[in-house]
Amino acid sequence: MSLLVVATYPVEGGALLKGQVTLESDGSLAVDGSPIPASQGTSALLSAACQAASHLGEPTPHALVAGDIGRGDGTRAVYKHLAETASRVQPAVVVFHYMQPIMALLRHGLDELLDVCPDALLVADAGGMYAAKAAGLAPRFELMTPDVGEIGFLADPQATHPAYVARYLFGGGDFDPAVLARKAYESGGSSRVLLIKGAIDHIVEKGEVAAVVEEPTVPALEAIGGTGDTITGLASALLSAGFDSVDAAVCASRANREAGLAMQATPAMRASDLVSRLPQVLEKNLDRWRNHSSDGAVT
Amino acid sequence: MRLFQRKGKAVETIEDEALGLFLFDEVTDALAAERALKASGYQVSLVAPPPHLRAGCDLAVALPRVEQLGAQRVLAESSVHVRDWVDGTEESTGICDLVTTVDFGRWLMVRAGNMKIVVDKDSREIVNTSGGGCPDIPYLNLRYVGELLSDVGRPKDVGFTLCGLMLDRAYLEACALLDGKAPT
Repeated sequence: MSLLVVATYPVEGGALLKGQVTLESDGSLAVDGSPIPASQGTSALLSAACQAASHLGEPTPHALVAGDIGRGDGTRAVYKHLAETASRVQPAVVVFHYMQPIMALLRHGLDELLDVCPDALLVADAGGMYAAKAAGLAPRFELMTPDVGEIGFLADPQATHPAYVARYLFGGGDFDPAVLARKAYESGGSSRVLLIKGAIDHIVEKGEVAAVVEEPTVPALEAIGGTGDTITGLASALLSAGFDSVDAAVCASRANREAGLAMQATPAMRASDLVSRLPQVLEKNLDRWRNHSSDGAVT
Repeated sequence: MRLFQRKGKAVETIEDEALGLFLFDEVTDALAAERALKASGYQVSLVAPPPHLRAGCDLAVALPRVEQLGAQRVLAESSVHVRDWVDGTEESTGICDLVTTVDFGRWLMVRAGNMKIVVDKDSREIVNTSGGGCPDIPYLNLRYVGELLSDVGRPKDVGFTLCGLMLDRAYLEACALLDGKAPT
């Protein structure tokens, strides 16, 4: 089983990189031997996925990434190479992550991808998720991982970007992720499974809540850039290792929280601090969690 | 700790006018147009184009129809590329104006829509940015974290996308809450 991550990295004019991802013991990350900077975003996702793969004895992810600081050049470059890369790697799971959310590019890219890998499970977060939803392609995805600022976007049929979500759909005192998840599913704005990241994580299957994870409570994680990306990386790696989608989401949520607790998270820490705690957390808990992750309400 | 405190902000609108929209290929063009037109004295607002005219991450500039000609000249003189002009703003929508804060004691987190910025209340150091999904957000994270709030350019001038624009709103709110005034 293999995992392909399609995304960008934050270097202006950064080269197209495609190949195996390596995570060194000092936290530095490389794609096909070329280093990419540590920040929130795709580097956090890849780092967490590497830790999960290493724990499970699976190959580390394959990445198709290019430098992009918001102009869309790197995004266009990776889409040009998507079909060829997927044909060669034959991934079981393909993740679309930080990318310029251009609907036409995703439509064309998905058509090409599914021609060469018709059985690949699709995961989307960040710009990949924005484009999938805006283009009406969300139902073709197995898993999406919105946060509380994004589930309203998935539930709003008119919105093509979270910046345009109707005010009442944003996370406030009356915010109910379960209601919005059902609305998103019914309006075609949701993948089959959603992992909604928040103070309480909701795992939703076909519009219905399958599990919630609320312990341990680590409020500072919301403030740390990249700690949502690490959840997506963990869930994707578990999915590619054969976990059921709901199991993968629940275990990812729990592992992220436990790592946040272990690092004694403060708002001034980094996603790399969390990633460094994952090996111990997974070693201690993953087998136990996997056997009990679909029991419904989880704490 | 205050969770999800609502803070109402005035929506940029131009009331009682028949409006039209400048459409752009890139968010950066829309932001440049807003800057150029405001600098020339036009009252404009940034909005989402109507759904059938959207390509994804895009932004339009609304202004009174009667001012189109002069405004178009300003944009041409400023070398801002305009894709098209449409009369009317039906089905266009404003950008989310919901700003919330979380007080972590030593640190203040401000969220605008899907974007967050976290600042050390004493030193004014930006200790984290998060959220979003466009590629300029990790770039802004690398540029901003570890810098003082007053030492960085506005996210909408450094970034390129709607997520960058939302981070700009969070940044302005953080400046206003901690320093009593927002940069222009």
